[in-house]
Amino acid sequence: MSIIVADEPRVGPVPPEPAPLKTNYLNARSGILSWLLTVDHKRIGILYLVSLTAFFVVGGLAAGLVRINLLSPTGAIMTEDQYNRMFTAHGVVMLFLFLIPSIPAVFGNFFVPMMIGAKDLAFPKLNLASWYVYMIGAGFMVWSVLAGGIDTGWTLYPPYSSRYSQSNVFPGAFGAFITGFSSIMTGLNIMVTVHKMRCPGMTWGRLPLFIWAMYATSFIQLLGTPVVAITLTLLCVERLAGIGIFDPAIGGDPVLYQHLFWFYSHPAVYIMIVPGMGVISETITCFSRKNIFGYKAVAWSSVGIAVVGFLVWAHHMFVAGISYYSAILFSFLTMLVAVPSAIKVFNWTATLYRGSITFQAPMLFTLAFLVLFTVGGVTGLFLATLGTDIHLHDTYFVVAHFHFVMVGGMVLAYLAALHYWWPKMTGRMYSDFWSRASATIIFVGFFFTFVPQFVLGYHGMPRRYPNYPAEFQVYNVLSTAGASILGFGYLLPGFYLTLSLFFGDKATANPWSATGLEWQTPSPPSTFNFDRTPVVVCGPYEYAIGVDQLGRGLPEPPGPGSADDPASHHGPTGPAGPMHKETHVVG
Amino acid sequence: MHTEHKVDDPPTMHDVDSPGAMFLVFLVVLGLAVANILLATTGLGKLALPVQLGIASVQAVLVAYYWMHMRRGDQVVTLSALSSLFFVFIFYVLVLSDVLTRWRIAM
Ligand code: HEM
Ligand SMILES: [Cu+2]
Repeated sequence: MSIIVADEPRVGPVPPEPAPLKTNYLNARSGILSWLLTVDHKRIGILYLVSLTAFFVVGGLAAGLVRINLLSPTGAIMTEDQYNRMFTAHGVVMLFLFLIPSIPAVFGNFFVPMMIGAKDLAFPKLNLASWYVYMIGAGFMVWSVLAGGIDTGWTLYPPYSSRYSQSNVFPGAFGAFITGFSSIMTGLNIMVTVHKMRCPGMTWGRLPLFIWAMYATSFIQLLGTPVVAITLTLLCVERLAGIGIFDPAIGGDPVLYQHLFWFYSHPAVYIMIVPGMGVISETITCFSRKNIFGYKAVAWSSVGIAVVGFLVWAHHMFVAGISYYSAILFSFLTMLVAVPSAIKVFNWTATLYRGSITFQAPMLFTLAFLVLFTVGGVTGLFLATLGTDIHLHDTYFVVAHFHFVMVGGMVLAYLAALHYWWPKMTGRMYSDFWSRASATIIFVGFFFTFVPQFVLGYHGMPRRYPNYPAEFQVYNVLSTAGASILGFGYLLPGFYLTLSLFFGDKATANPWSATGLEWQTPSPPSTFNFDRTPVVVCGPYEYAIGVDQLGRGLPEPPGPGSADDPASHHGPTGPAGPMHKETHVVG
Repeated sequence: MHTEHKVDDPPTMHDVDSPGAMFLVFLVVLGLAVANILLATTGLGKLALPVQLGIASVQAVLVAYYWMHMRRGDQVVTLSALSSLFFVFIFYVLVLSDVLTRWRIAM
């Protein structure tokens, strides 16, 4: 059965605002045990949110200390050995405990079932188990840090890590091994849920792009993570038992480790970014009141990234002693993987074209993502170019590249998601002014922090060194100054989001006038999300026509609501306005 | 007595593994592991690699077939499992593109 939504502007009858629920998922049960033993995907999402935030703070503090140390050419506050341990702690915590779980574990858990009209994930208990496994792995990492840290860098290259380092490699590597299983569990859960639990009418062609992105991510998690688990196991075997696997002195091959490690860890950077890309597709359509440009291209490019992302890993090894032939091959393959990323960026930009754009906080984060991710991606191409990389490898240029994609891209997408869905998750609105201020401050601080690092790297400052020639100091000071602006920007949401829980206005069911199913239920939702199974009649982003996925009219978007408000239904380019947007119906 | 049982049917006792059978498989896998370790000390020479990898493959197949319930999987499950072999194949091919050409002297 399919109900065809006419491809002509109209504003259907807006459903009445549902009464806020007396019992929602937050107050259905109370007490600490009701959280620790919950199998509700939404509560597990919150558990992850709280733990991830804590680790983000820890990783951020380590970053702050690294930057402070770099204020002086001879190291301002730490010994060289402490410095090694500090940047390793920063990398390990941020990657394994924050970025890899981030969006899938928090927003994937919370919103995948809601967006496809399901009651929960396919395996609720496995979901809870994944959080415990994550916490146990995190415990091992905290142990390794408290016992004095690791000095190998997050990449744990042998033979240094396996044979010579005196630091706590084992608990750290073992912790990463364990958190990997939590990642696999989440991926498995989401994949099965998307296959099996879509509500009637939710065809593959009508899935929100966030779901496509989460699906592609689970694919990488499922295929890639076991490889790193085995790699870390082999590393521990060599370290603990002295069996020669990677150390050439006892018959091993150190480059083999790098192959195995990057076979996971390059795809892992896509585990980090692809969910963020999914969020951007949601917010950019909502805040420009337009259908996505090229639904299929955006959906399939997520899958394309997941597949091609597995073919490019040795671009991290161009100067590690791999053969020239292989290096050329990988250089070429790496350039291929930029194609699907670029497809997405072009399609988002085309989505903005002639949109009725408004600048609420989620949209500011989204626009910042677009700019910063593009810079990050394009500098990735510089590094993919074999000849250039021989100059740039292991310099601050690489550091700037990956921070542009991971912080400018992923962390901003995470913040966009947090600001977009916060009203749904908590039932409260946060301060409009402060949230916009925070987005702006983060954007400015980010540029100050990382643009100087491109310059530094290009001029040859190696990464992971505590000392540098005096002429580099000005760039390092600039970067540290920027980092303090950035840090301040990150602190703000901690305040206004927390305050919103107590003093914020009550959120309506659909405060952004968005089309997705997750908005067609009260805020905060009940334990089982919907009081009856929703039936989807159209694609996910019919903003130009003005209907949600249930085929009902959308409420008036936030803003002055007057006829000259571009986002309003009756504004000139609104669905009922005289110059309504052209659209083609998806799904 | 064997009756036709479709994947979507509710589970019956027929679908439950007996602990004995599972334990037996476990013992066989363990036994093969011990055999492999012992073989490693005997110096098989050229034969070592094929023989020992062969034993490891048998172990992997046993685990997949019994413990991962591949023997009851439908075609989609079998196909997914086989595609993981394809995935490993990609890894080997691209790593070999390095290893097999690494020692050639540049002209
Ligand atoms: C758009 C396509 C991309 C291309 C072509 C690309 C290319 C590269 C290359 C060639 C390197 C190695 C540089 C070197 O060590 O000499 C590199 C490093 C890195 N990239 Fe990217 N990249 C891309 C996107 C991303 C994304 C989306 C992320 C993360 C979300 C990311 C994260 C990283 C990280 C973490 C490293 C450094 C790892 C380390 O050595 O510690 N990249 N990238
Ligand atoms: Cu990479």
